[in-house]
Amino acid sequence: MTPADQSRPPRRDLSFEREPARRVFASELREARVQFRDGTDEKSPSYVLLPTGERCNRVFIVGAFTEKKRQGDQNIFYRARVADPTGTFSVMAGSYQPEAMQQIARIEPPAFVAVVGKPSLYETPDGAIIVSVRAESATIVEREVRDCWVLDTAQKTLDRIDAIGKTPDSERAAQEYHIDPVVYRKMVYDALSQLKM
Amino acid sequence: MLSVPYLGTEMYGMDIPEIAERISLKFVQKGCNVDRQKIEPKLRRLIEEFGVPPAEAERTVQNELFREFGIVIGPGGGGGGSEKKAIAEAVPGEWVTVEGRVVALSRPPSPAISATGVLSDESGSIRFVIWSKASAPEIRTGTWYRFESAVVDEFKGVSNLKVHSGTKVTEITHEGALIPNVRKISELSPGVGNVRAKVIQEWEANHERMLQTGLLGDETATIKFVMWKEEGKERLVPGTVYTIYYAMVDEYNGRLSLNLNTATAIPEEGDLAVSSGESHMEGALVHIAPGSGLIKRCPVEGCNRVLSRQNYCPVHEIQPKYIYDLRIKGWIDDGIKTNEVLVQREMVETLTGITLDQAQEIAENNPLGMDEVFLRIRDRVLGRYLDCGGREIDRRILANTCAFCTFNPGKHADLLNRAGGEQ
Repeated sequence: MTPADQSRPPRRDLSFEREPARRVFASELREARVQFRDGTDEKSPSYVLLPTGERCNRVFIVGAFTEKKRQGDQNIFYRARVADPTGTFSVMAGSYQPEAMQQIARIEPPAFVAVVGKPSLYETPDGAIIVSVRAESATIVEREVRDCWVLDTAQKTLDRIDAIGKTPDSERAAQEYHIDPVVYRKMVYDALSQLKM
Repeated sequence: MLSVPYLGTEMYGMDIPEIAERISLKFVQKGCNVDRQKIEPKLRRLIEEFGVPPAEAERTVQNELFREFGIVIGPGGGGGGSEKKAIAEAVPGEWVTVEGRVVALSRPPSPAISATGVLSDESGSIRFVIWSKASAPEIRTGTWYRFESAVVDEFKGVSNLKVHSGTKVTEITHEGALIPNVRKISELSPGVGNVRAKVIQEWEANHERMLQTGLLGDETATIKFVMWKEEGKERLVPGTVYTIYYAMVDEYNGRLSLNLNTATAIPEEGDLAVSSGESHMEGALVHIAPGSGLIKRCPVEGCNRVLSRQNYCPVHEIQPKYIYDLRIKGWIDDGIKTNEVLVQREMVETLTGITLDQAQEIAENNPLGMDEVFLRIRDRVLGRYLDCGGREIDRRILANTCAFCTFNPGKHADLLNRAGGEQ
């Protein structure tokens, strides 16, 4: 109606928006060192900044479930390892993720699994930083789903590399990580090469 | 209430004569003679002795005098809002004076309200409510009025002009025509809106007071509309294009809809290329929501609502003769954005290999009942890549096609080239 009306942001943006699940290879996620909150609220979403320059509150990963460990006495939780062509994701599920925990309890390695979860950074007593994914769900899937995921993740990673320097997140990542895009291209190429032609 | 900014007494000390002048002028305009010499000491006392912020002191003294002269004003009135404002600039929490044309009237929802409708000027439109207690003159559509000292507040996310006992409503004459600004459906925001759209669907009214409900569409989007039974209201004809002036744009749960009771719908010649609303998305199914799997629906004709576990329909209460159905409610995610998706029975059967009959059998013969169906369906579709197509309404895809994605060797080759080509 008027410029004043148009400048008002559409209200539907204020409503809850689900965070998309980013696609990232294990050897990239493993290098993440920056975690931040968008806002000061306790409930503001927390993001891990990927080295290729995108914030990431949730990930979707598909790989080989190779190992699981049950830990804790009173508060049982599971730690699992999920391998993709580039490396290994550390996945965990505790009593706050009952669905994922029950699913992981039933999965016997080895198997292809699809995991949806939230990445976060932990510091070990000796000062090393570990990236772990708190699973929201973990489902056994077919090999073809893994192959589709490698293509999908390769494409998204290349898209991020191509956008370096063009988004605020990627500029921030450039300052934090000083990555060499060539190394990441090579990682994508190697991952793709492992699929049957 | 109007909040009064505190600006410091030192700064304002010297403005006391000015405030007194302003107050006395107001009374002179109303035909009352007040002694400025009597106003100043009152102000000085409040501001200097009691540390009252000048704006609040002005309001206090003014109200005291209004009472003295028997002039009825609303709470906080006179303190602000006597300057005329453009309707588009009225912000919730303000007292305003606006001039506009009453472009629509709707039936007051309660005896406490004497009129509700839409007031427009060249800048925009706003909904208004006149309280019965306001003793305002009778309001007619098409007439220009001046609303002096009305309050703008917000109700359900929509700005609303409240006419109370302190508001002065006068009929005025106005030169020039008012041309409503017609917008695209995708640009609407809560309040009042004008659109040119086609009636693309008519839905069964689920309330006895409802005259018509359905879907309107233009090139950009679709939106639900509703019209309640009221004298003189006529149904829209499906398939016809209308220019709709002064519809109320409501928001519920982040979704917009149009209430046409205030609106004027003018049928138009010709057709409109309506956004099919069809969208297509390839992505991973990252979440399956409760309410997926085997569900029970209300058997009352035209209802079809999902019943709770206790067979309770939100409208028709307990329905023991429910109808079973299968569906998946979930989130499909392509790594960039995520969309809610609703998959209907036939496609759930194809995707999972579980038919409705089999699902019923599983539920009846299993200690977990319907949960068992949910779990089996989840294990077959969660974490898979799906290719879904269907109508998208407010970011929810109502899928009419849905299939598992397969490995694409061509894409594989392209990506290998892309990753290796620039080394």
